[in-house]
Amino acid sequence: MSQEPIDAASHLVVRQASKRYGATTVLDRVDLAIRRGELVTLLGPSGCGKTTLLRLIAGLALPDAGTVAIAGRDVTRVPPHRRNVGVVFQNYALFPHLSVAGNVAFGLTVRRRPKADIARAVDKALALVHLDHLAARPISALSGGQQQRVALARALAVEPDVLLFDEALSALDRKLREEMQGEMRRILRDINATAIFVTHDQDEALTMSDRVAVMNGGRIEQLAEPRLIYQRPASLFTLNFVGLSTRISGTVVACDGGIVQVDTKVGRLAATGRFLAGSQVVVATRPEHLRPAAGATGNAVSGRVRAVVFQGSRSLVEVGAGGETLLAELPGQEAALLAPDAEIRLAWPVSETFAFPAPEMAA
Amino acid sequence: MTDTALPLVKAPAAPGRERWLAVALAAPALLILLALFALPLAKLLAASVAGPDGPTLAEYAKLLGTPYYLGVIWNSVRLALLTTGIALVIGYPAAFALARARGAVRSALLACLFLPLAASVIVKAFAWTILLRSDGLVNETLLALGLIDAPIRMIFTETALIVGSVNIFLPFMILPIYTVVAQLDPRLMEAAATLGAAPAEAFVRVVVPLTVPGVVAGVALVFSLAVSAYVVPTLLIGERYPTLSTTIAKAYLLARQPTFGAAAGVVLLVIAVATVALSTRLARLGGAR
Ligand SMILES: Nc1ncnc2c1ncn2[C@@H]1O[C@H](COP(=O)(O)OP(=O)(O)OP(=O)(O)O)[C@@H](O)[C@H]1O
Ligand SMILES: [Mg+2]
Repeated sequence: MSQEPIDAASHLVVRQASKRYGATTVLDRVDLAIRRGELVTLLGPSGCGKTTLLRLIAGLALPDAGTVAIAGRDVTRVPPHRRNVGVVFQNYALFPHLSVAGNVAFGLTVRRRPKADIARAVDKALALVHLDHLAARPISALSGGQQQRVALARALAVEPDVLLFDEALSALDRKLREEMQGEMRRILRDINATAIFVTHDQDEALTMSDRVAVMNGGRIEQLAEPRLIYQRPASLFTLNFVGLSTRISGTVVACDGGIVQVDTKVGRLAATGRFLAGSQVVVATRPEHLRPAAGATGNAVSGRVRAVVFQGSRSLVEVGAGGETLLAELPGQEAALLAPDAEIRLAWPVSETFAFPAPEMAA
Repeated sequence: MTDTALPLVKAPAAPGRERWLAVALAAPALLILLALFALPLAKLLAASVAGPDGPTLAEYAKLLGTPYYLGVIWNSVRLALLTTGIALVIGYPAAFALARARGAVRSALLACLFLPLAASVIVKAFAWTILLRSDGLVNETLLALGLIDAPIRMIFTETALIVGSVNIFLPFMILPIYTVVAQLDPRLMEAAATLGAAPAEAFVRVVVPLTVPGVVAGVALVFSLAVSAYVVPTLLIGERYPTLSTTIAKAYLLARQPTFGAAAGVVLLVIAVATVALSTRLARLGGAR
């Protein structure tokens, strides 16, 4: 889809990487190019191959085809201990026979750093994750969130070139997680490490990263800045997976200059896209573009209010029209006036309406 | 606690109750151990100091003061040390092979390990005498292959003793190590690798410490079995290598010296218990948790 060309400035480059386990293709010709110091989040449903992609990059699994290059060097067959790629594992993988400090020191000890340097680096790493007071604790005496932070400190302490985080903040409460997100951005900038951050949390993906890669079924559907992922999703999957949307299916009746006219159950709608007349498409837009309107510039649909979901300063209004559902995000006061089942007319600009090929019917 | 303590604050779940539960759960085993172990042990201790004119340590003095009997004790310890050492060297990698194997291979390997346990020690020791005697399978094969001109003496040598003993006690080394290895999380090795540890270093720094409990159990088991083995030395080497256990048997059955036999039994017991305690202790000092 909208992959950027692989430029020479990229620090980490995965090219056409495929991996299969038995009959299932877990990664399908994945391309990924990340600049030095950039933070990319991998967003995708469970089982789409995120962990597998990280394992390929770390050298813990070999691709069946394709290459992995770091700083211009092909490392596809380089063993993990010679890659300087740090990993925070989904299940932490802490060493149970070592203390908190022993775990954090591990990478430096095997690098034969002087004792004093190790002690200093361990203190620093533990301070970053707010665990300095637990340095002597055995791992078995830590909570899940504390273990996760030890795993973070252990990976950061060796200051690797590339850092891979597999849902590294998932076990933390909201406040601590936001604090850690900030800390990690800062640390990553300090050590100028290239980082991939796997997460199920969209907010985390959209707020933390320089770019977001949306994965689906072993492929990267889109790799772009968070704003673009949200505002200009490249596929129906991305649209669906990131954020809320109104989706109405229909048939293209005309196409002119990148604008298609689509016949739907709620009337004719215009959308950006190029399709042949007769194509089945899904017309979509984000909830914040829908406004109650009397006039008729752009697209407009009349329906009845089905539900109003209060969300603090704004409310989400669900409107039923001709068997389709429209989602509008309205300011609190506006939404407060809406009674359930009230008639409402919603309008939104054509420039924020997109047409995607309709998903093929399952055979 | 003082009288001003809030009445709402409850004492932490009565530790006394938990202790009683533990005692209750252990009671049946404790009773059996007491009846089958502690009482005979007390009798053994009493018997070992019984003299015509009241308690005496004369038999202990004889055991620990005569070069011959010191040699006997050393024979037992030497047999146990060699057996344990060799079994550890063979058993440690074998336990890994077993843990790594999958499907049918694993079942076959486990069968190889467990089936011999079903046969009596006497049968296995006899099997070794058949294999190793001058017209046995090993000599015949070597002769047939032209590797030797005349049968070599194998049975009733120390080599035969050690080979047979290792063979018979090896499963007791492999099983506890295997149990620990099978539970090792492979992610730990991966984590070590991503932190820069080469496979050998990751093995030494992660796998070895985590398998120590299995090694300690295996060493303690094999050592205490080998140090007190009776059938194995009797059948595979005989008179030439008197051990504590064969000496005890002789004291009771032939020489009619029950006090001496009891004293030798106590010495044997002390050696076995000391080894178990020592290896556990060393493991703890070695940093295993
Ligand atoms: N060693 C393996 N053998 C067989 N199948 C595997 C193996 N590892 C992963 N898979 C399969 O590959 C697919 C992708 O797995 P992966 O762990 O990469 O998913 P994920 O995107 O990380 O999911 P989650 O978000 O749940 O962690 C899954 O369907 C999984 O069952
Ligand atoms: Mg995963």
